[in-house]
Amino acid sequence: MAAIPLETHDLTVVYNKKPALYGIDIEVPEGKLVGIIGPNGAGKSTLIKAIMGIVPATSGWVKIYDKPFKKNAKRVGYVPQRESVDWDFPVSVMDLVLMGRYGKMGLFGRAKKEDREIARECLDKVGMLPFADRQISNLSGGQQQRVFLARALAQESDIYLMDEPFVGVDAATESAIIKILHELRDKGKTILVVHHDLPTAKRYFDMLLLLNMRVVAFGPTSEVFNYDLLQKTYGGRLTILSEVADAIR
Amino acid sequence: MRFDKMWQRLYRGIVLGCVFLGDASLRADRIGEMDSISYGGQFLRFFSMEDPLLRTVLLGSLCLGLCCGLLGSFIVVRKLSLVGDALSHAVLPGVAIGFIVAGEKDPVAIFIGATVAGLLGTVLVSLIKNTTHIKEDSSLGMVLAGFYGVGVVLITMIQKTSVGNKAGLDKFLFGQAAALTDKEVGVMAIVAFVSLLVVVVFYKQLLVGSFDAAYSKALGLPTRFFHYLLMLLLAFSVVISLQAVGAVLVSAMLIIPASSAYLLTDRMHRMLILACLFGMITGAFGAFLSYMGPNLATGPLMVLAASSVFVVCFFFSPKHGIISRWLRFRRRANRVRSENSLKAIYQVRESLGFKGEGVLLSDLGDRMRESAKEVKSRVDALVRYDLADLKVHDDSCEVYLTPEGWVRACAVVRNHRLWELYLTKQAEFEPDHVHDDAEVIEHILGEDTVRELERLLDFPTRDPHGKLIPSLTDLQRTLTYASSKGEEASGYSMPKG
Amino acid sequence: MSGMNEFLNNIPEFDFEEVFVIPWSEFGDSFIWIFLMGFFVTATCGMLGSFIVWRRMALVGDAISHSVLPGIVIAFLVTQSRDTMPMFIGALSAGVLTTVLIEFIHSRSRVKTDAALGIVFTTLFAIGVVLVSIYGENVDLDTDCVLYGEIEYVSEDTQVASGPLAGVPLQVARMGLVAVAVLLLMIVFYRQLLVCSFDPGMAQSMGVSPAVVHHGLMILLSIAVVSAFEAVGAVLVISMLIFPATTASMLSDRMPVIMGLTVLIAALTSFFGMHLALWLDVSTAGAMSVVVSFWFGLAWVFSPRRGLLARVMKKKVDLFAEQN
Repeated sequence: MAAIPLETHDLTVVYNKKPALYGIDIEVPEGKLVGIIGPNGAGKSTLIKAIMGIVPATSGWVKIYDKPFKKNAKRVGYVPQRESVDWDFPVSVMDLVLMGRYGKMGLFGRAKKEDREIARECLDKVGMLPFADRQISNLSGGQQQRVFLARALAQESDIYLMDEPFVGVDAATESAIIKILHELRDKGKTILVVHHDLPTAKRYFDMLLLLNMRVVAFGPTSEVFNYDLLQKTYGGRLTILSEVADAIR
Repeated sequence: MRFDKMWQRLYRGIVLGCVFLGDASLRADRIGEMDSISYGGQFLRFFSMEDPLLRTVLLGSLCLGLCCGLLGSFIVVRKLSLVGDALSHAVLPGVAIGFIVAGEKDPVAIFIGATVAGLLGTVLVSLIKNTTHIKEDSSLGMVLAGFYGVGVVLITMIQKTSVGNKAGLDKFLFGQAAALTDKEVGVMAIVAFVSLLVVVVFYKQLLVGSFDAAYSKALGLPTRFFHYLLMLLLAFSVVISLQAVGAVLVSAMLIIPASSAYLLTDRMHRMLILACLFGMITGAFGAFLSYMGPNLATGPLMVLAASSVFVVCFFFSPKHGIISRWLRFRRRANRVRSENSLKAIYQVRESLGFKGEGVLLSDLGDRMRESAKEVKSRVDALVRYDLADLKVHDDSCEVYLTPEGWVRACAVVRNHRLWELYLTKQAEFEPDHVHDDAEVIEHILGEDTVRELERLLDFPTRDPHGKLIPSLTDLQRTLTYASSKGEEASGYSMPKG
Repeated sequence: MSGMNEFLNNIPEFDFEEVFVIPWSEFGDSFIWIFLMGFFVTATCGMLGSFIVWRRMALVGDAISHSVLPGIVIAFLVTQSRDTMPMFIGALSAGVLTTVLIEFIHSRSRVKTDAALGIVFTTLFAIGVVLVSIYGENVDLDTDCVLYGEIEYVSEDTQVASGPLAGVPLQVARMGLVAVAVLLLMIVFYRQLLVCSFDPGMAQSMGVSPAVVHHGLMILLSIAVVSAFEAVGAVLVISMLIFPATTASMLSDRMPVIMGLTVLIAALTSFFGMHLALWLDVSTAGAMSVVVSFWFGLAWVFSPRRGLLARVMKKKVDLFAEQN
């Protein structure tokens, strides 16, 4: 039997003495597009960061294809939140995408022709090749997100973790990204996406992880996307609930 | 393209400089004999590297500038400038303790002591941040001031001892490049070489760690290790700069050349090269100025040289300088203004059914709701750009568009109406909500986008308000018509539906 | 190691009588002024510092304390005197220029605030130092004074000739006035300061302009810095600005208590700093700076609620509770 792409056991993260994530036990099967949804402060981003060890876990463990993350970092591609970086940083779009290749270059390696070729392909895939030589601050929000996606694609990984890739992007970019994600999934890649928009969540994802510090539910979208579980996830907040009602209808 | 040119110029400058220096060294004997006091002569003497003492000073300043520019670039892009400031004050007690332990001004002991103190300072900053509620700026300030206070006390104590009062430890506060010894310059050269080597070899790790440390971790790179490596190098470059620049102003040599470079380029590797060059030039120049006057500390002069470079970059950088930005802004504003005038002229002609050739300024004023004076200045601008001609009659003025003006007018009107149509048809806006958006976009749309829009909208002829959209073929016909008939025909063509 | 030994041998033996008693019994009238000067400086900076630290402007304070130098020197050069008013005006303009330039560079280019701060204050400070070393003799200022201050000589300053303060050294009188003024302003505008520091948006809606309060604080800071300048120098002012406030905030959460504590810390700092300097025969301002950082060290380790020890103990208690 093939190894499980991503497995966590009792993953707990404590920030300033307050738990942010508590006892996360999940096994993500191969070739699934998984949405992580939950209210603000539910620890969605923290979960993704804890999986990669960016945020230290207080207890529990994570395994990527049966090995700890550090041993298998090359098999994980990451799309951070767009606001997490300084877009005035002096690098070009091409430089940024090449960073996706750094993990594979070794300690002393440099970008080779092959790496550049891959980076160009990835840029082309997200429709950003004409912008390769631009400085990254001269991009719109949607373009920045596409470049981040291209960088993750350049990692040529088996698992992709994406933190809010649809925030602040235009409709065209959103549909372009989701198309690429579906293609990746069809190639057998496993993708986890932090998402905050309930109405689209139902359409986009094969599986949903409902998260509110703990795992409320994890399973195929058709099984877990229902009123009771969503109410449990979001608590009694009215505005969200009416949104939920709309989404379910 | 602009950068290629810049590099070319830079290269030529360096070559010329080398020739100049080579020439100078040939004549240096004579200069030494002449005991010249002219500035030019002193300049040659200082930069010719003939006099061994001056050579030491010059080489030291160059190493210092190189290190500071290199490491400074990283701290500027990582927004750690003030860490550099805290570090540069925190090394002071280390200098004193290095001196105390060695019993003399031994560069190696001082180097070790200062590095340890600097690193201890940075560790304390993060310790205070992690174990108390105190914010980072205050913990930086505390480490800066606390360490500096201890340093001042130790140095005043040392100055009371028999060796101490001659050692000139107070030179570590404002710097005196003239006091550099061969051994110190040796340490500086080693540090410069090591820093350069590390940055070149581990460029990619340092780059991705500076841009996004979380991503670097996600790639599985030893992010924390490289962060501390960078901090160590930073401490090194602060420490080697102490003798020449002084603890109080080292941070300036870290921040200012790097910030100047940051204003000139959009690529990290170019920024590093430029920052090193700026650091070396201003370092050497500051040392030279301090050599000119017997009583002048080097540090402040180097800083002033660096600030002058920064001021020049701040105003005149081709891309990010405020004057070039202002010029670009003016140019754009002028274009928008004349395009709006052209559009209004088009609309007046349209309202008259494209009869007659000229447009009365009074009609234009009514259309734009502007006074005669304002309209006159608009038209004058169009005349200046060869987009229109003005004919003055006895009691009125008429404006005639040149062929180019007419084409531009049609293009603007077309952009506006196409965009309105696009918004109503594709984005499902109400027709009365699209005007303002189109007012902005009409000046920005490029030819490719226009083609795309036309294809998307199936080559439309009328906008949502039922007005004609001038099409590409109309525009081309105007031009060919105008050129075949000569200037006389200008402005006569009428777009067809 | 010989250097080490020589250095250690050179440290004077601690003699309680000589360090703590004789200065007061025999030179009391000059040491009282040094003590008072140190107290006024630290108390003024401490009170202002409580807000500065809270508003995360500690490094702006650092910047201003450096950049007043050219203002002071130019005022000296223009008026050829050490009069109070020109010095205040020079320092104030330099302080205002600093904040304006930082904002200008930051808003008109891609240079970030931290770098802009570093560029502005080092440049102004460098200008000041160069002016001092060129015109040093004319202005009766030297770089040592800029770095360490001259609090030791405060009692030799010209004395106030008449009025209720007759006989008080001019510098001390001035610093005392500044201290009282700052205290009064803090009491009168306490609520405005508090609400602006806590929630600028709410302050705006209450009719208090955060910009006015911000600039007012900057002006006060410049005044405090310039009057402290001669006593403790440009760099050590920052100790007095940050340490009392952070130490007090380790001990309490309430602003009035924090401000009261800073005044207490100021008295302790001035007293022990002066005597430390007497014992080791070192720069008094430097010794005060060491003492004030020592208080912070104490508070950091031993603070009953927030100290390192309390944290360790709490962890143990938690562990114990968990095990049971």
